[in-house]
Amino acid sequence: MARAGGITNAVNVGIAVQADWENREFISHISINIRRLFDFLVHFEATTKSKLASLNEKLDTLERRLEMLEVQVSTASANPSLFTT
Amino acid sequence: MAVPVEEAIAALSTFSLEDDQPELQGPGVWVSTERGATESPIEYSDVSAYRLSLAEDTKALNQLNALIHEGKEMASVLYTYRSCVKALPQLPESMKQSQADLYLETYQVLDLEMSRLREIQRWQASAASKLAADMQRFSRPERRINGPSVTHLWSMLKLLDVLVQLDHLKNAKASIPNDFSWYKRTFTQVSIQWQDSDSMREELDDLQIFLSTRWAILLNLHVEMFRVNNVEDILQILIVFAVESLELDFALLYPERHVLLRILPVLVVLATSSEKDSESLYKRVKINRLINIFKSDPVIPAFPDLHLSPAAILKELSIYFQKFAAQARLLTLPAPHELPPREAQEYQRHYLIINHIGAIRAEHDDFTIRFASSMNQLLLLKSTENPDIEWCKDVKGNMYDMVVEGFQLLSRWTARIWEQCAWKFSRPCKDVISLESHETSSFSDYEKVVRHNYSAEERKALVELVSYIKSIGSMMQQCDTLVADALWETIHAEVQDFVQNTLATMLRTTFRKKKEISRILSDMRTLSADWMANRSKSESEAQSMQRGEESKVNFFFPRPVAPTATQVHCLQFLIYEVVSGGNLRKPGGLFGNSASEIPINDLKQLETFFYKLSFFLHIFDYTATVATLTDLGFLWFREFYLETSRVIQFPIECSLPWMLVDYVLESQNAGLIESALFPLDIYNDSAQHALVTLKQRFLYDEIEAEVDHCFDIFVSKLCDSIFTHYKSWAAREMLDSSFLFAIDNGEKYSVQPIRFNALLKITRVKLLGRTIDLRSLVAQRMNKIFRENLEFLFDRFESQDLCAILELEKLMDVLKVTHELLSKDLLIDSFSLMLNEMQENLSLVSFSSRLASQIWSEMQNDFLPNFILCNTTQRFVRLSKVPSVPVQKPSVPHAKPNFYFGTQDLNSAHQSFARLHSGFFGMTHMFSIARLLGSRSLPWLIRALLDHISNKIAVLEPMISGLQEALPRSIGLLPFDGGVAGCMRSINENLNWEAKSELRLEVLHGIKEIGSVLYLISLLDIVLRELDITHFMQTAPWLGIIPGVDGQIFHSQDGESPIVSLFKSATSAAVSNPGNPNGMSYYTMSKQAEAADLLYRSNLNTGSVLEYALAFTSAALDKYCSKWSAAPKTGFVDITTSKDFYRIYSGLQIGYLEESAQSPSNNHELLGDSVAWGGCTIVYLLGQQLQFELFDFSYQVLNISEAEDGTFVQTQKNSQYMQGWESLIEAMKKARRLNNHVFSMLKARCPLEDKTACAIKQSGAPLHRVKFENTVSAFETLPQKGAVN
Repeated sequence: MARAGGITNAVNVGIAVQADWENREFISHISINIRRLFDFLVHFEATTKSKLASLNEKLDTLERRLEMLEVQVSTASANPSLFTT
Repeated sequence: MAVPVEEAIAALSTFSLEDDQPELQGPGVWVSTERGATESPIEYSDVSAYRLSLAEDTKALNQLNALIHEGKEMASVLYTYRSCVKALPQLPESMKQSQADLYLETYQVLDLEMSRLREIQRWQASAASKLAADMQRFSRPERRINGPSVTHLWSMLKLLDVLVQLDHLKNAKASIPNDFSWYKRTFTQVSIQWQDSDSMREELDDLQIFLSTRWAILLNLHVEMFRVNNVEDILQILIVFAVESLELDFALLYPERHVLLRILPVLVVLATSSEKDSESLYKRVKINRLINIFKSDPVIPAFPDLHLSPAAILKELSIYFQKFAAQARLLTLPAPHELPPREAQEYQRHYLIINHIGAIRAEHDDFTIRFASSMNQLLLLKSTENPDIEWCKDVKGNMYDMVVEGFQLLSRWTARIWEQCAWKFSRPCKDVISLESHETSSFSDYEKVVRHNYSAEERKALVELVSYIKSIGSMMQQCDTLVADALWETIHAEVQDFVQNTLATMLRTTFRKKKEISRILSDMRTLSADWMANRSKSESEAQSMQRGEESKVNFFFPRPVAPTATQVHCLQFLIYEVVSGGNLRKPGGLFGNSASEIPINDLKQLETFFYKLSFFLHIFDYTATVATLTDLGFLWFREFYLETSRVIQFPIECSLPWMLVDYVLESQNAGLIESALFPLDIYNDSAQHALVTLKQRFLYDEIEAEVDHCFDIFVSKLCDSIFTHYKSWAAREMLDSSFLFAIDNGEKYSVQPIRFNALLKITRVKLLGRTIDLRSLVAQRMNKIFRENLEFLFDRFESQDLCAILELEKLMDVLKVTHELLSKDLLIDSFSLMLNEMQENLSLVSFSSRLASQIWSEMQNDFLPNFILCNTTQRFVRLSKVPSVPVQKPSVPHAKPNFYFGTQDLNSAHQSFARLHSGFFGMTHMFSIARLLGSRSLPWLIRALLDHISNKIAVLEPMISGLQEALPRSIGLLPFDGGVAGCMRSINENLNWEAKSELRLEVLHGIKEIGSVLYLISLLDIVLRELDITHFMQTAPWLGIIPGVDGQIFHSQDGESPIVSLFKSATSAAVSNPGNPNGMSYYTMSKQAEAADLLYRSNLNTGSVLEYALAFTSAALDKYCSKWSAAPKTGFVDITTSKDFYRIYSGLQIGYLEESAQSPSNNHELLGDSVAWGGCTIVYLLGQQLQFELFDFSYQVLNISEAEDGTFVQTQKNSQYMQGWESLIEAMKKARRLNNHVFSMLKARCPLEDKTACAIKQSGAPLHRVKFENTVSAFETLPQKGAVN
């Protein structure tokens, strides 16, 4: 019955594992911050979009009002004789 | 090094990312650095670094994983396979000669598909042999290599699952052998010309056998496995592993659970079919345990629209595996369709979500709150400087627990949906309640299992559950980067605590004597312990560390780094080794081994940590796990049913996602409406699945087409229900409150509040990678609906008569209130803009409008000719006779109830009110006209009415001349002695107008119309007065005006009015205050106040419309004065020869009085009271009132009859004498009363200027230059139409 396990060079492995923990701390630090950066960008895009949407909405309404005013002005200026007394 | 990054990221949080968007959709954006759940990102290549002699195991493991990956792709090819033969063209007769070409083309097309099948055939053969070899290598009793590890076991199970799935797919897809036989036929046709086709033919035969044999893959695998007869051990291990994992059900997420459930029956069949003793399995696993598992899950989800059932699999396989056929207990399990009704009921209770939704709701609410609160704690922790370590650990541990719980909840809920689907597929709806009876009663199978298989309640529960899953998913996904380091830190702490403390204790106590085990345990410590995690900590912490050492427990500081997948893999392997003692043949279970040399307590600890480790993997893959657990895309796929139904695609009514969306919209359930977008997420998931997993573009195209279609319908239905809701809300507000108080069933008019405002806020709906601005779409449609509604109201008014003006006003008011209510939630065009647009009076120089011109044309064409006035009720009513002028009108346009007052009930309530006013025209209608037209179009209408008067007079003039000509040269006073009868005879002799009765009638009508117009204007005058007074009351205090007697107006103070001075002082105060930044706007306001003052002051004293109209009529009459009112040559009043207007009118009046007396209630109805108004006004304005009152025929007759009354009052003959004349006399009296009323009104409103004339004294002497009232003094120079040069 052969037992499994038995790390052949336990001391070296232990040192390597320790170094690995430290390296990985650095890596995970960088990676989480990159993810945060991405997260931020995604959020930023979303909020910007909705802000633009609300701006667009206001512009739409203004545009239609302006259109109406233009029509009104054009009807008035088409008959200048009405305004000369 | 780390600080600048941290600072930079922290700086990002200074941006404001608030956008006021409710979270009504599932997670949409996945930012993930992991490859996928529970898989090593680098294929365990770092295992060798730990020197555990696992190289063989790792190699085999990676090979299996690669095979699993390939197999899944094969499975998706098979699943999405659609028959090509159906699309093949048929050659017409005329082209038979090119049949050979067609065969070649067909062959080439089919060859491509068949090569894929051939590839699958080859692949399964190699996969089966590799799997078998793998199993054999790792199950030798004399062990030379380490393994198999737990991960390896999982890979075996998964590969087995993939192979069995391929078999299921191959069995279920009928189109594949079908296509193949076609292919073979074309091949024989095509290959005639080929030289060497024998090998190909052999290959084809081979493929044919593979395709047409059921369970070919499994049988092949069986052969491969038992080529060398020692895989029973590993099969048993796999079974034990699966059974234990299923029974414990702790670390399993639903995809893994389903894998185990699917593969277990096949494993059992394989294990019992070996040549050797097949009963040894039941020594390790009691058959009852297996039966319990099979019984608890009678249906297992396998593919989106195909379920499996363990009982059915066992039964079918027993035909192929003779040995297994002896297992009677396993074979008597009932398949889902054979379940006895009572048991089926029981299962039904378990499978249907509707029976659990209450508990799920509670879980959801509870979890959301706790998750949010631990999030808050975490944020608080991050913002605190130097937090207490214990608290820190507490908060992070709590967060970790919440995430674990969240994953388990999501897994449980999504599994519920899968399982309900499978159950529903296994039990199609038997008796379809045909709601639409006109439809054909034959339903496709898919309709039976989906469309009609979900009741309304079940749909509701499903919508709820979908939205719970999606909302929790998006909540967890959003905080991914926030919680990640806390999770890593907790996991790190758990691992370190175990290897540094628990293992140390074990080493010291239990295993001190056991060399083998303690070596494994110390290996575990070596490969994962992080001894130095506490190196750069402050003094106080170092002290606490020392305290830790004193208490004989290693104290360590958590590091926000998770162990790698390989570390977890190795740890699991080692634990497994410790527990099993490296002997696979050991009886009993994994941790349930009582004969072990390990004390029960330590075993328990090892077991807990073992399962925890497997769950860590899910947490490392945070986003991937959330994505897997919230993936509901399977609800859309229906490849099997498409094939059996022989259609290209099902209509969207059969599509479950759309059924859910539709249900939300149709149900009008206030609690559900905010979930309307969640079912649309299912499409996102299925599109993702089609592209990424199945890799089939045509599926994506189909989904996209359906989504396009659905979303259009969704928006239009949503807008419709929004509009209806706000409309009925407004209509309900407008109902009379006393009416609502008095009725019994008032609740049917109540409008249930629905929160649309959250939906209305959404500017980004994420759909198939596109972002859709729902709010602007809704606003766009609302603008359109409001315009359409206005258009409809005008159309409707145009198809009705003038009396409908009241209803129109009501409808407009409701619409306006609707607009007001909706404007609070949505930015839409202003109501006045839309109204002006639809009224077509945008022009600044036109004062008519669509409504005004309609009112006027209605008056001209219908109202004036066909309505008669009743002076007593002050109303106009329609002639009961057929109108003399028939009116052509468009038919009433049809519209949905929401274009009226919203719902049916509100419509009937409002319309029954409007109906009360639809039969006449009176003061209220005039109010409506005045309000609807406003000060802009009303003058236009008045002018049109006045012009109508002058036109009528001009038309009347020649007719009256005609009547004048027909008068005898002289008519004296009536003879007194003939009595009433004599008088009438003499009048009839004199007025011989019989020849001109047509003309007479026309003149009467003309006069009637003039009278009607004048009466209308008098009504309008009253209305405008009232409005003016209201207006005055409102503005007077601001303008500083005090009303005096006789309409005089005093100004309260000199100089500025209160409003101007108020704003001026405010401005000066604001400007003088240096702290006020916007003094300019105050200045603007004060200027505006001045403008308002000017505007309102000039509007104060508007004149009377009626007086103006009378003056206008008088001026219009001036032209005909000479003809109708000849000045007597003698200077005295002309009695006998006069042909003045009053005489004509007098003749007309007596004529129609006589007629009306002869046929009562006939003639009166023809003309009404407005004749008197018209006639008397003209008489009065011509200055002939006195003459009329003296010489009118009827007055004379009345005088005579009164005198007769006096004479004959005592005689009995009276009645006889008067006989026949009573009604005429009565009518005359009535006419006189009416005339007097009109004259007195005219005297009041239009006093005549005194004029001088001759008179005769009683003595008979002429008196010159007597003053008397004659004509109107003012407005003699009013402009007349046509008179302006």
